Amino acid sequence: MASFETSHKPDPAIGSAASPASDPGLARPAIVIPAYNEEGSVGEVIAEIREACNFPVYLVDDASDDNTVGTARRAGARVIPLATRLGAWGATQTGIRFAAERGHDCVITMDADGQHDPRHVHQLLAALRDCPADTCIGSWPQRGSASRKLAWRLLRATSGIRLEDLTSGYRAYNLRAIEVLTDWRATFLDYQDVGVLSLLRQQGITVVDVRTEMRLRQNGYSRVFHSWLIVFYYMCHTLLLGLSKRRIRSYRAPTSGAVAKS
Amino acid sequence: MIFALMTTVGLSVAALILILIRRDKLHVTHGFGWILAASGFALLGIAPTLIDRIAVKLGVAYPPTLALTVAVSVLVVKILLMDIERSRLEIRNQRLTQRIAMLQADIEEIKESVAAPISSSPPDAGATPAVQAASDEPDSQGSTANND
Repeated sequence: MASFETSHKPDPAIGSAASPASDPGLARPAIVIPAYNEEGSVGEVIAEIREACNFPVYLVDDASDDNTVGTARRAGARVIPLATRLGAWGATQTGIRFAAERGHDCVITMDADGQHDPRHVHQLLAALRDCPADTCIGSWPQRGSASRKLAWRLLRATSGIRLEDLTSGYRAYNLRAIEVLTDWRATFLDYQDVGVLSLLRQQGITVVDVRTEMRLRQNGYSRVFHSWLIVFYYMCHTLLLGLSKRRIRSYRAPTSGAVAKS
Repeated sequence: MIFALMTTVGLSVAALILILIRRDKLHVTHGFGWILAASGFALLGIAPTLIDRIAVKLGVAYPPTLALTVAVSVLVVKILLMDIERSRLEIRNQRLTQRIAMLQADIEEIKESVAAPISSSPPDAGATPAVQAASDEPDSQGSTANND
């Protein structure tokens, strides 16, 4: 039933999950990076990931015009080249499907612009294992301008999702979440925030968020928050989606802190 | 005059639909709806008083309003159905694009594994553990069954 957990955990110490790979449910994690024209940062991002962990890195190239593919290959990532642009979520889902087909039971998604520090990967995995949860979001609510925070507030109010950082692309999904996200229903979505979170909630997937520190973008820009017209379209689109996917029955808090799984 | 025109339009559209289906330009499923619409046009042209009689029975004071309302409603439903169909096609298109990308990544990996004995170190030997490459590639194993 009410298994969409929105409370956020206090920070588990970084590196406390030194061996999440020993957990039977999270034995084979993979890292998925959607990238569009990120040749300036993607090499360094992959190098940092390989320094922080030895998980396979799948970079989904969203039909970039620059040399993102070559840079990623040289850095040691397996590149999944999309023939046409599918957008950030379409690319991410491709990576998740690819990882699922290869038998990975856990996927961590990260941005290619260097915003996310790969050293927090273990923190996300630890949250998945310890909470336990099916999805963990690395959130950094401090980031963003006042207008972005207002947008988040609006999205939270309309969708009923009470996570702090709705738009963060730094997430870890376990097998249950992967099964939901590889389904065609998830292909219907354009953005990974409200749509994906509503779908997860609908399917009884537990989501927690963990505070992580993020860095300023090394290169590139937010694919959503860089033009007023796109922001307007995005807000209308996401508000409508959040409203239409909102749970009609009132939220029933899980009893005694335990999270029921449907 | 208007009734003759409606009959002509209806019959011409019906004929056009038949030609399009015959030349494989239009799927029969879509053609059926259009034939119905064209028949409606033709019927109204042939029996112009029909709409008046229906309007009187339904209590509509000005019969053309009924005809226009029905026409607009049918159009709205048709456009909505088209958008539903379009959404379905977009999903299918996106899933196929994803599938192609995944297959391309697989093909590149197979090519690299074939070329591996020649070159000493494949570029992403560290990124993709050998266990995965072996277990997830039915082609390179010559079998569709995975060992693990």
